[in-house]
Amino acid sequence: MATISATSVRFGSSLKLSSRTGQVTGRSITSVKFVSVGWAKNGFPSLRSSSFRVSCAAKPETVQKVCEIVRKQLVLSPETELTPESKFSALGADSLDTVEIVMGLEEEFDISVEEDNSQNITTVQEAADLIESIIQKKGEA
Amino acid sequence: MKKLTGLQKQVLGLYRGFLRAARSKGPEDRKKIESYVSSEFRNNAKNVERKNFIYIEYLLRRGTKQLDQLKTVETVSTFTVPSRSGN
Repeated sequence: MATISATSVRFGSSLKLSSRTGQVTGRSITSVKFVSVGWAKNGFPSLRSSSFRVSCAAKPETVQKVCEIVRKQLVLSPETELTPESKFSALGADSLDTVEIVMGLEEEFDISVEEDNSQNITTVQEAADLIESIIQKKGEA
Repeated sequence: MKKLTGLQKQVLGLYRGFLRAARSKGPEDRKKIESYVSSEFRNNAKNVERKNFIYIEYLLRRGTKQLDQLKTVETVSTFTVPSRSGN
């Protein structure tokens, strides 16, 4: 019981934080977003295990790097808002742009993305998650 | 993104192939190849009738051949701009 109330307090405060910070830097947004995603997707009782998995998803550095590459590739103006949940298509990217983004990510992170996977990437978050899982696999191999 | 058709996937696969091949070239050639390939794909994406499968398949075959050439040949000069017929 004590743990549940503790987590609920934490979520409450971080949600408030998200509305307050608004759109400052990628890093602060992402860390907040992780929490809110885990909160929205999963019911209250399973919070502990799910929040563990979510925080494991992608490091803020990775998300940040992905954001930079997407910005560069799509030639976004600095004032264009880019969050981990931004859809590439909503930013004006067509399928060819998406291919270019994935190729850019491959070079930046020195990885190789399977063709099937690359076509499922539609957001920065998805890209970051995929990259981390690939890097992890590479480390194990 | 919407679900892609088989043909669209092939086109994107070819595009990836070109960008991959371009990586193995020198920085200057690479830039040239990338800008040419990119404009070619975008041009066709815009101008070729979506349902013109025969022409799209022809372009795919031609592109695949050009890619093979690009992979084997050291220079970019063989990678000439073909005159576009039809459409």
